[in-house]
Amino acid sequence: MSAPYPKAAGQGLAACDTCAKVSPVLLGRCPRCGSPLHLRKAASIQNTMALMIGAIALYIPSHLLPIMTVVELGDVTHNTIIGGMMRFWNTGAYPIAIVIFAASILIPLLKIVALSWLCAAAAGWTHPSPTMLGRIYGFTELLGRWSMVDIFVVGILVSLVQLGNYMTITPGPGALAFAGVVMLTMLAALSFEPRLLWDRLDELPAEPSPHTTKPTS
Amino acid sequence: MLTWPKPRGGPQYSACHFCDTLHEAFPLPEGSAARCVRCGAVLYQNRPASLVRATAFSLAALFLMALVHIFPFLTMDAATLRRNLTLVGAATALIEEDAPILGVSIVLFTVITPLMLAGGMIYVCAPLMIGRTAPGAFGVAKWMYRCEPWNMVEVFLLGVLVSLLKLAKVADVHFGIGFWAFGGVMLCMAAAVAGIDREELWDRLEVAKT
Repeated sequence: MSAPYPKAAGQGLAACDTCAKVSPVLLGRCPRCGSPLHLRKAASIQNTMALMIGAIALYIPSHLLPIMTVVELGDVTHNTIIGGMMRFWNTGAYPIAIVIFAASILIPLLKIVALSWLCAAAAGWTHPSPTMLGRIYGFTELLGRWSMVDIFVVGILVSLVQLGNYMTITPGPGALAFAGVVMLTMLAALSFEPRLLWDRLDELPAEPSPHTTKPTS
Repeated sequence: MLTWPKPRGGPQYSACHFCDTLHEAFPLPEGSAARCVRCGAVLYQNRPASLVRATAFSLAALFLMALVHIFPFLTMDAATLRRNLTLVGAATALIEEDAPILGVSIVLFTVITPLMLAGGMIYVCAPLMIGRTAPGAFGVAKWMYRCEPWNMVEVFLLGVLVSLLKLAKVADVHFGIGFWAFGGVMLCMAAAVAGIDREELWDRLEVAKT
């Protein structure tokens, strides 16, 4: 089948990931900025899935372990992310509870689901419309960073609330696990190769090596 | 029609970063964007007064960053004690409380990344205004764009708001100049990064070098 639109890869051309210059992939390195050239990111599905499995593994302890420990007049309480959210909800601070729910619980989960689906589509298991998948990919890249808000809150509270015997806050192991979730899902989104989705649509080889001849479109 | 100088030698191409469709890269009038014929993603755009805007907003961001490190974000009064929040203070508190990775990541995402973005933008764009490249400008531009997804200035600002609401019951908490300055950093950084298209910056670098 011939693709209706000419692809850069079909003519042995690759856009540099760093500076976007289109050059023959056989040069090996971009003549403008010197970054390595490739038609498609190498092993992007495997890398994305591996990083996501790491993120899923950390997601569970990040919500079970306390993200901070509050000592108030000798009383020790361990705070989890969900516990903090529930406290806001119960005291009537609904907007802030919804923000925490979205940033800490929903976005990481949605990101994991969305990236798994994108990987399945890139591997050719499902065939949804690439335009819709493109929007999903854009959202995962855009929203991922906002989950860091909980880590920043822990840092801010630990720094401010050092009031001797009255009240102190210390970070918990859950915060480290949650920071891991955010960073791993961000790296997973960065290592995903959206061009594979369109390759599937055109039934071109998914990851052609620069040394084999490819069918020209 | 105003446009930026294109590197010489044969027709210039642009491939869609999303669907890899190959296009011939024609010059664009100022203020408009070229979109992929297949998927509609933006290929490149010609931003008005790009070099001047990118440099000016980056300079403003650098100046505001200095204020952020001088003045506190929040001031808390509780039980005769007064505590101030700064970025470096939050990071060192985490490092002292045995969470060094979290402390370092706060410094990375809210201090070092914005600094590299704004500083790199000035280093690359200011000499380009007179058609020159600073030594190592290509490497700086590369790292600048690699840093971009890890810039979390606006996320930290949301974190400050959430913390303020958490502490409101326990103590008297006030916004400081640092908070407003960091808000300014957020706006200036967004304007600087959006001020010049990636393709234009690299084309100008390539032309200035030869």
